[in-house]
Amino acid sequence: MFKIVYNGCNMKRNTFYLLTGVVALAEVGIFWLSVELERPILIQVAFVLGVLLIYGARRMVEDRVEDERTAMITQKAALRTLEVFWVVFFVFSLGSAVVAFSRPLGLRPPHPGPPNMAPVDVLELPFVGGFAVFQMALLCLMIFLYVGFKMYYARKYGGWDTDEEQD
Amino acid sequence: MKNRIKVYRAMHDLTQEKLANELGVTRQTILAIEKGKYDPSLDLAFKIARFFGVAIEDIFIYDSTAELK
Repeated sequence: MFKIVYNGCNMKRNTFYLLTGVVALAEVGIFWLSVELERPILIQVAFVLGVLLIYGARRMVEDRVEDERTAMITQKAALRTLEVFWVVFFVFSLGSAVVAFSRPLGLRPPHPGPPNMAPVDVLELPFVGGFAVFQMALLCLMIFLYVGFKMYYARKYGGWDTDEEQD
Repeated sequence: MKNRIKVYRAMHDLTQEKLANELGVTRQTILAIEKGKYDPSLDLAFKIARFFGVAIEDIFIYDSTAELK
């Protein structure tokens, strides 16, 4: 069994929250810049770096914020989120599949159709953009579900209780 | 599961914060255990018992009816 000890690089919890906010704002700015420059790699790299920075900073927070109870709460919340989310995701995916199969898939030439009919675009660019926004909405739903379940289990396992020792 | 952590804490003149620091957990965890909202792992239960220098049964009382609720 080992324990990681950080010397001289500890961080207050409030500083960590401040850093998280700054990173989030920076990500929004970089996203906008990425759209302006039409370079998706910019926001993709920035997002990965931002997440790594926050994960690294979280390990340096002075106050102990995690133990077996919080780990259990996190596990339960993650499991419940997965249980609900896969159903929602599958329902929307089924709907999308029905829409997709209702049109030519591009696996073979589309039906000739009536003479002088324009060929059907299988995957137009606006459709890809709409799909990306849809994915983001589902991701937001997953985050909301996770936070909701985490709050529920934190309350259930006494996370927000007060007693005579609390200030 | 019922427990007598609060009693042993009082006997040793310990706050929840101090006990939590000694055991390497958060204060909320000690509070949740005391209020019976969270049953600690076997590892933590033994740690608590050894910290107070008593047997685990002296601190934790198994209540089979609580499981049926």
